[in-house]
Amino acid sequence: MAYAQDAGAVGARLSPQVDSLIRAAQRGDQEAFEQLVRAYDQSVLRLAMNLLRSPEDARDVYQEAFLRVYRNLHAFRFDCSFHTWLYRIVTNICLDQLRKRKVRKEESAVVETSDGPIDRMEAFEEEAAQADPERSMWNRQLKDKIEEALQELTPRERMVFELRHYQGLRLRNIGEMLGTTEEAAKNCLFRATQKMRSVLGDFV
Amino acid sequence: MTCDSVSKLIPLYFYGELTPDEEDQVEQHLHGCSECSAGMERQRAFAAALDQRQAEVPPMLLEDCRADLMAAIQGGAPRLAKPAKGPWTLFLEAMGATFTGLVRLRNPIGALALIAVGFFSARLIGTNPAAPVASSPADDVFATVRSVQPDSSGRVQIAFDETRRRTVSGTPDSPNIQKLLLAAAREDNPAVRVESVGLLKDRAHSSEVRDILINALMHDSNSGVRLRALDGLKPLAGDAEVRKALSDVLLSDDNPAVRMQAVDLLVASRDGATVGVLQDVVQKEDNNYVRLKVEKALKDMNASIGTF
Repeated sequence: MAYAQDAGAVGARLSPQVDSLIRAAQRGDQEAFEQLVRAYDQSVLRLAMNLLRSPEDARDVYQEAFLRVYRNLHAFRFDCSFHTWLYRIVTNICLDQLRKRKVRKEESAVVETSDGPIDRMEAFEEEAAQADPERSMWNRQLKDKIEEALQELTPRERMVFELRHYQGLRLRNIGEMLGTTEEAAKNCLFRATQKMRSVLGDFV
Repeated sequence: MTCDSVSKLIPLYFYGELTPDEEDQVEQHLHGCSECSAGMERQRAFAAALDQRQAEVPPMLLEDCRADLMAAIQGGAPRLAKPAKGPWTLFLEAMGATFTGLVRLRNPIGALALIAVGFFSARLIGTNPAAPVASSPADDVFATVRSVQPDSSGRVQIAFDETRRRTVSGTPDSPNIQKLLLAAAREDNPAVRVESVGLLKDRAHSSEVRDILINALMHDSNSGVRLRALDGLKPLAGDAEVRKALSDVLLSDDNPAVRMQAVDLLVASRDGATVGVLQDVVQKEDNNYVRLKVEKALKDMNASIGTF
């Protein structure tokens, strides 16, 4: 849960500055808008990257999300935190992408090629256990198994799990972002965990 | 609490999402139940395993995203766009501005205006400060200065073409607006092209619009414009000319995002030539993502990756 410090805390920690940036951006101050984007965009990009495992798709999500923010910022009325409002937009776009993938049944991180399966993320991940081939092999199998486990989740379960586990957000907040109750988010997280643990079986 | 109810609460306990009361009960139970304690350990191991699956954001991706966004905003800006000022407006403003005011003109037009101030003020004001500037253009006029001729009396004659700005509004379907959009798609300003191609893209069934979109896809220097054109051509992915353009783009466009989308469109309504085109691309493509996508497309079509 390395991201717990990140997204959720940004809004609370920076609230007064963020509010004045939003107000300035609403008045048309382009620089304020840029600063606002920079306060949040790293966590948005990481969320998209982690969910979609594709730099191109993450880039699309980033672009679409912040363009929507840009176009609709005048309608933001401070009745929830800006972070929640932004994440409503971002999670909607990511959920759409995940649903499309489910329909197309493609785009797992592993792509079959003429040289055998290639992990699309490989280029960006450091293999920590390179010196120990046995461990490296086990890590690889575990990685594949985790991918398989994540594929079992519905897009919504995937999203709740992502926001809780990787982004460190509270379930109440997640419910608010996804337009549902804290209770429903709890159930979702529970189902996600159960499904994944049953796929991972002996690995953990 | 029973083992069954505790095992259901373990994930929420792990994430700190139980009420203090529930938390106490779970802790008490775990204390005395080795089976549930082992379950808790498995939850920890499971979470630790998942921690390792964090995607690294590729270096430069964030900067690329920021650049894309700012380009799109400066290009399409329907919301925060500031009213554009013509060179004359800038020039006249600069004439009236104090020096500190001039420093704010940071763009090239501003710089040009500054040079003009130096030059013209010497000519216009230098010897006869009271001499009026005859028929200076109004604020909504863009002027292109064609010649500047000082005469012996210290006055200067400037010949300029003026273009008056007019604003019209209407739905993108109305013929007048569509005509202007078609013209705007060929404008020098990429911001204007992005927005107009974006609006035309839902109207690709008209052959005039289709031609403009194909032209934008193949020749526009701005990848944002090309991507919008591609988007607009989606419904026509079966059209022979569109397919020809897509094949060309796939082999020659320098932007991988454009090539990725071109693959999608070609594959979406494949014809006899698709496999050959894609096989050709696999040989030449130097971007890993595009190549993998093409290889996957070929595999889905049960075609071999190489040509033999």
